[in-house]
Amino acid sequence: MAVDITLLFRASVKTVKTRNKALGVAVGGGAEGSRDELFRRSPRPKGDFSSRAREVISHIGKLRDFLLEHRKDYINAYSHIMSEYGRMTDAERDQIDQDAQIFMRTCSEAIQQLRTEALKEIHSQQVKEHRTAVLDFIQDYLKRVCKLYSEQRAIRVKRVVDKKRLSKLEPEPNTKTRESTSPEKVSQNSSKDSEEKLAPEEYPEKILTEAEPQLGTWGDGKGEDELSPEEIQMFEQENQRLIGEMNNLFDEVRQIEGRVVEISRLQEIFTEKVLQQEAEIDNIHQLVVGATENIKEGNEDIREAIKNNAGFRVWILFFLVMCSFSLLFLDWYDS
Amino acid sequence: MVGGKMAVAVAAASIRERQTVALKRMLNFNVPHVKNSTGEPVWKVLVYDRFGQDIISPLLSVKELRDMGITLHLLLHSDRDPIPDVPAVYFVMPTEENIDRMCQDLRNQLYESYYLNFISAISRSKLEDIANAALAASAVTQVAKVFDQYLNFITLEDDMFVLCNQNKELISYRAINRPDITDTEMETVMDTIVDSLFCFFVTLGAVPIIRCSRGTAAEMVAVKLDKKLRENLRDARNSLFTGDTLGAGQFSFQRPLLVLVDRNIDLATPLHHTWTYQALVHDVLDFHLNRVNLEESTGVENSPAGARPKRKNKKSYDLTPVDKFWQKHKGSPFPEVAESVQQELEYYRAQEDEVKRLKSIMGLEGEDEGAISMLSDNTAKLTSAVSSLPELLEKKRLIDLHTNVATAVLEHIKARKLDVYFEYEEKIMSKTTLDKSLLDIISDPDAGTPEDKMRLFLIYYISTQQVPSEADLEQYKKALTDAGCNLNPLQYIKQWKAFAKMASAPASYGNTTTKPMGLLSRVMNTGSQFVMEGVKNLVLKQQNLPVTRILDNLMEMKSNPETDDYRYFDPKMLRGNDSSVPRNKNPFQEAIVFVVGGGNYIEYQNLVDYIKGKQGKHILYGCSELFNASQFIKQLSQLGQK
Repeated sequence: MAVDITLLFRASVKTVKTRNKALGVAVGGGAEGSRDELFRRSPRPKGDFSSRAREVISHIGKLRDFLLEHRKDYINAYSHIMSEYGRMTDAERDQIDQDAQIFMRTCSEAIQQLRTEALKEIHSQQVKEHRTAVLDFIQDYLKRVCKLYSEQRAIRVKRVVDKKRLSKLEPEPNTKTRESTSPEKVSQNSSKDSEEKLAPEEYPEKILTEAEPQLGTWGDGKGEDELSPEEIQMFEQENQRLIGEMNNLFDEVRQIEGRVVEISRLQEIFTEKVLQQEAEIDNIHQLVVGATENIKEGNEDIREAIKNNAGFRVWILFFLVMCSFSLLFLDWYDS
Repeated sequence: MVGGKMAVAVAAASIRERQTVALKRMLNFNVPHVKNSTGEPVWKVLVYDRFGQDIISPLLSVKELRDMGITLHLLLHSDRDPIPDVPAVYFVMPTEENIDRMCQDLRNQLYESYYLNFISAISRSKLEDIANAALAASAVTQVAKVFDQYLNFITLEDDMFVLCNQNKELISYRAINRPDITDTEMETVMDTIVDSLFCFFVTLGAVPIIRCSRGTAAEMVAVKLDKKLRENLRDARNSLFTGDTLGAGQFSFQRPLLVLVDRNIDLATPLHHTWTYQALVHDVLDFHLNRVNLEESTGVENSPAGARPKRKNKKSYDLTPVDKFWQKHKGSPFPEVAESVQQELEYYRAQEDEVKRLKSIMGLEGEDEGAISMLSDNTAKLTSAVSSLPELLEKKRLIDLHTNVATAVLEHIKARKLDVYFEYEEKIMSKTTLDKSLLDIISDPDAGTPEDKMRLFLIYYISTQQVPSEADLEQYKKALTDAGCNLNPLQYIKQWKAFAKMASAPASYGNTTTKPMGLLSRVMNTGSQFVMEGVKNLVLKQQNLPVTRILDNLMEMKSNPETDDYRYFDPKMLRGNDSSVPRNKNPFQEAIVFVVGGGNYIEYQNLVDYIKGKQGKHILYGCSELFNASQFIKQLSQLGQK
């Protein structure tokens, strides 16, 4: 187990100080020392990068605290039964959602900005590595806090969808009110996280709107005078049939909903992978372009070499022919 | 690695976990590490020296360091640039050069705050040196914390540790057994060993009962260790063995047994050719600190004349505890390993095929009602397949790794006919009748390198009861020199044998038999990339090496002439003593075997096998250095030269 010898260290510092004073060695000692320290500290580049990084972190921390604080109220399902104090209306919830999203977007933009700036101005390899790693940490932190947010939002939306499903079997007036709240949410929804919930919300909506006119005509039909027993029976049969149809549609819709959720999840995974691959493909593309250029240059060089070779041969041939002619000439001249 | 594991009521719990927890705590500024999923990121820089690097690298991967918030990890003696506003964690040995370099860092104001952690205890004077430098640089407030970590040992496996890797020449077998060693040098060597052992017990959190043989280096180590532990226990204020950090130790009512043995008890085992996977990798390939370096030749093709020769790729693999295949098959005989790799490969291929099949099913999209319902089922399957993809890729990587390693080992085995050596040596060591004469094997030109032959002969020489006659010896020597061996190790072994004869009878190796299995049936069964024809398939029977036997006697309190006169030390007893009468009559539950002068994987595997048969008992194996046979032969020849 580790032993903390910090106190021992401080004690040795004191011993060394007193010893140096006794020996009269100038240590930058006493009052000067502390002034020196102040001096030393202030001109030191305060690290623009790290102070901004810390700012971003404190922002994200504020967001996290805010979310955690209101989490209980946000998730609380029975808020309409509880007292005024702990309640949170839907409008407030939407407000929180919106604020959170804007905040997250600004934070990620700030991180991006920091990234481009920070890597521009520094020459040392180690500092670059360090800063990249720090930015990765911050991004990771932001992701975790966003997960908090999306979790509680998912819970809320799921609950709403469930409520709607249950309420579909209830009489008309309730469905009307539920329905009116859902378009609101649909319009306010712009974040990617709850996209998967959008689709299922739209479907039940459409079904309800379809069901409405039918109910409307149904209502009109009922307004007439007493019906004969055959008509009643007929109407009852039609009733049953319609209910059967509704149930089928409802089942299908639920299935489709489930599938769409899965597909969107897969989609997310795929986009992530594709984005990763994009970077690698860019790399490969550049390498290939470089390689083609190298090969072209290589070809050129080879062509030149061949030409030179050929030229060289021609000269040799010429020289030999000239030599032999001169020999013949000398021989003829001599004889 | 969670704090809860510390409450396990076994004192000799995995030493690897303990050291990892200690390291993580250190990296977290010496505050116990708590996982918080929405915690703010804290970043720091880690600076270590070579000792620190050796300690950290088997335990924490770079990814784990990242998770702890470490952005950069640098060597102490490299060029480091100033990085403002970052706390730095130092993990170094308190040597002169390191201290100088640290003072230099303080003067250059490289980092914002400094957390100094010393691998073993730092002396007061060196602490004052740092204080001096800090004062001179007006950086005293920057030195935030100073700690003595007591982590001066390297853990390689859950239950195996080594003392050091960097300066192992200082405490090697050769250094201890040199004829020209002076007293002061011996003292330094012993001090180093004792310091590391002390750190080990501090980390383990238990005070052991020590037993050692008389008249060996092990005895010196035992005496010093006992003294050191005793001093520390007496010093109630600063005792390292009390307090709530020792929670786990208090639960077990038994103290562990430390058995200190000297390498000279058993010189044949390090030279032995082996047949288990981990030991083979260590023997045949370049393997240390859980990392194996392979040279892959990129195939022999006829290169056009004038082209540069193909370069061999160097690859290195880490064999970690996460690697389940490795954990399962570390100690299995090699043919079993080959088979298991095949099985894993087939299993992986089956899973891959399933994923591919899903891909083709997804081809029909919404064609008819039946397909739609199948589709929804398949989206679920696809999701699960996609999410299991990373696991599958990881498995593939491990299978590739082991295929490469096993193929490399197999090539060596075939080239050097190691199976023949193994069988023969087993027979020699168990004193059963030999079917081929030693001379035949030595003069066989294509069975193994000269080193292998030397090893075989040395084992023969060590384990025979009567020394072979001069004429025979001359014959052997001639055959060996013909085969190209260096005869220096033989000199040394002769001296050793003479000495050992005086001291006591040489240890016997117990009974063992090997059964060569049906060659044909094996080939039929595997039919794989591992072409095992020509390599005999040998099955190991359980045997006990001398070290294991000694441990068995001491742990079970059996009476045996070999171990009866071992010394007994108990640091917790009030009176200093030299009693050879053990006070404790019960068999021990935990034991730590430490070999002074070097150990190897064969002994480790043997101990593991031995303890597997016993329920509820744990053994830790440690040695001052880890060498394979070729390194040991080098040391012996250096000794023999003098």
